[in-house]
Amino acid sequence: MLRGVIYRLLQAIPVIMIFAVLVFLLLQLLPGDPAVAIAGSEATPEAVDRIRQQLGLDRPLLEQLLNWFSRLAHGDFGKSLILNQSVVSAVVERLPVTLSLSFLSLLITLPAGISLGVLAAYWRNTWLDSTVMVTALLGVSMPSFWLGILSVILFSVTLGWLPPAGYSPISQGLWPWFSALIQPAIVLALFQIGFLARITRSAMLDVLDQDFIRTARAKGVDEWHTITKHAFRNTLIPVVTVTGIIISLLIGGSVVVEQVFALPGIGRLVVQGILARDYPLVQGTMLIFGFSFVLINILVDILYMLVDPRVRFG
Amino acid sequence: MRPRISGFLLLLSVAVTACFTPAQAQTKGGALVYSTVAGPASLDPYMAGSLIELEVIHEIFEALVEMDENYNTRPMLASKVETSNDAKTFTFTLRKGVKFSNGQDMTSADVLASFERFAKVSTNASLLADVEKYETPDPLTFIVHLKNTNAVFVDLLKSSTYPLAILPASQKDKPARDIEVIGTGPFKLGEWQKDSHLILLRNDAYTPDESADKPDGFAGKKTAYLDSVRYNFIPEANARLAALQTRKSDVIGDLTLDLAKRLDGSPELSALKTFPYCQQYFVVHSSNGLTANPLIRQAIRESVNVDDILAASGILSQRNPSMLYSASPYYAGDMAATYYDRKNPEKAKELLKQAGYKGEKLILQTNSNYPYMRDSILVLAEQLKDSGINADVQVIDWMSNSNNLQRGTGNWNVSTTSFCSPPLLGPPQWKSTVYTFPHIEKDAVIDAAFDNLFKSADQQTRKTAWFTIEKQFLDQAYMIKVADTGSLRGYNNTRVAGLRPYFYLRFWNVWLK
Repeated sequence: MLRGVIYRLLQAIPVIMIFAVLVFLLLQLLPGDPAVAIAGSEATPEAVDRIRQQLGLDRPLLEQLLNWFSRLAHGDFGKSLILNQSVVSAVVERLPVTLSLSFLSLLITLPAGISLGVLAAYWRNTWLDSTVMVTALLGVSMPSFWLGILSVILFSVTLGWLPPAGYSPISQGLWPWFSALIQPAIVLALFQIGFLARITRSAMLDVLDQDFIRTARAKGVDEWHTITKHAFRNTLIPVVTVTGIIISLLIGGSVVVEQVFALPGIGRLVVQGILARDYPLVQGTMLIFGFSFVLINILVDILYMLVDPRVRFG
Repeated sequence: MRPRISGFLLLLSVAVTACFTPAQAQTKGGALVYSTVAGPASLDPYMAGSLIELEVIHEIFEALVEMDENYNTRPMLASKVETSNDAKTFTFTLRKGVKFSNGQDMTSADVLASFERFAKVSTNASLLADVEKYETPDPLTFIVHLKNTNAVFVDLLKSSTYPLAILPASQKDKPARDIEVIGTGPFKLGEWQKDSHLILLRNDAYTPDESADKPDGFAGKKTAYLDSVRYNFIPEANARLAALQTRKSDVIGDLTLDLAKRLDGSPELSALKTFPYCQQYFVVHSSNGLTANPLIRQAIRESVNVDDILAASGILSQRNPSMLYSASPYYAGDMAATYYDRKNPEKAKELLKQAGYKGEKLILQTNSNYPYMRDSILVLAEQLKDSGINADVQVIDWMSNSNNLQRGTGNWNVSTTSFCSPPLLGPPQWKSTVYTFPHIEKDAVIDAAFDNLFKSADQQTRKTAWFTIEKQFLDQAYMIKVADTGSLRGYNNTRVAGLRPYFYLRFWNVWLK
């Protein structure tokens, strides 16, 4: 198992390097000039040139790429053009917000998505199945920024239950932290719940038709144990795979939700960086995102080995 | 006789009401919450070009001269400014007793260090490019010697963007965007969490300008009543409005006309309209293809119907033909009106014929980020088609659009944008914009008039010079004025008092009820 993990980690190195080059090149393809963004739309060309020179943006592309790689090799992700702060410290400052949001969202997504999927499969082709699947379809289809705005109007303005925007760190109390995050976490989770419920239902339907389920029922095992012990355990492989994808999607989806609910997380940092064409900030953050996704995939592979002996001993 | 008596009674009742209605007490204390679209990236005034940065910066820092309520020049940290007859030497007498927020006295050494740092790091360093030398004969006198005559040098110093604020001399060698935030303004920096919030605290070391009796724009006698102002950064407009509606914010910025309708009927919430704010123009590329021909540019101007454009763009706006506002001593509205809102497609067709136009494609470039710009261009395209112009609309992103506008790249003929600072600040600040955006390569009339504007010590000569510039600029249709655009903010009128409309929101002389 250890060999497998080391092998997967080694495989990640070229993936991350290729990803880094792609991020750099794609950003350069973006239209617009960071110097103009910093100087403002009314600035003179001389002012823009001055900023470009100050930031080293007047140097050849290859030189900029090699400089970035050389700094990366020394663990330096660069300095944000607009924040005047190192990319790593900017990310570290905002990480607790995005992690809190993603974690809370995952806590909602997993039980809700899995239970709905199992229920829909067990009572297949009934009104319950149709209701769950239509709700899942709605959850997957509705854009989170629109859902976010509706949610703010309902829960903050009309009902007055939750704050409309902003973040309060957990150090300032559990309730302020929870009340600031629960609304965006639910909005973020709705898409994922729909996705997970559909996958779970489909995996469950496959398993429920298997011979060993019929055998378990023939032996007189009660339905609860048939479903939880025999059927559900056998759906775990696709569910674990999807959970890995969902964690990545939650981090990616935070870009929109953090913007709507004014949460000072990494998603908002990326949007700010893209709007200002802050190349080092976007490159660095994307690289950190890429690295996290690779790690999540490795973790999913390890989980496979834990939940399925065929993978472990195969 | 009766009317006289009733008039007297009316006057008496007004006087009695005035005497016995309690004046709104200006109370000290309290924390005001302001939700704005984004937070500043840096609080280095010499690098600050965006409204979100400048709104905070002007609460903390002050300059030798500032804009008054009508955006004209008025001394602030200087008590007096003397200009030599040849307009090459400027003597600033500093106000006595001014202190920085760290308690240190402000002297001419700080002013000198600030000017030197500005020349080294500022985006607008060209402002001081003509300086020959500085002198500081005593702690309260600062003298600037220029190499060439510049009659409007003091006017240029009042710039609200990249303000030449006075920092402690200790900041002289600090790199761009890396200063300690210490100013002479009524507020000082408390807490700042980027992307989340920023808190300003009242600067108890603040020395108001006692020669004035009230605040005047960024100058005059400023009093900080509030203990603190918290800026919450909320990018989404609906969430900002929700913060006001749920009393989580006392004031919000960047309210759209559509969202402002949600305040209708609320006795507690009001919209604060600000005019003047910015001016929208169609910018015509005078060095590219078809529009290098003045007759084509004039045909475009003759096609414009302002009311239709304003109806489509849906922003807070009002008609004004001039490149300045009526409070400016240089305002020439009557002259400008002859070039405004022409809606004359027949005249346009005649001009096109004279220009030998054969239906070539005219490219109108705009962006999807600012709907009012896109909608204005779409309506203009239809108006141009009515005049027989083959208008082709290109919608790109704002960053590229803005870059193309400034650099002249992207093969466009007409685009649109808004200018905020030059119309407010006046003719000297218009200079770079006049040349940069329409990409004027050479115009002898404008060149000579700007020369007069900068060199003449006589105010009347300068007015004539600006009149010539504006007339030539509008006549040649380098840019076509659309309208003055306003700003909308929202506030809770049961909590906040003393808020006055101005380009930047100001929290001095504002108090909580």
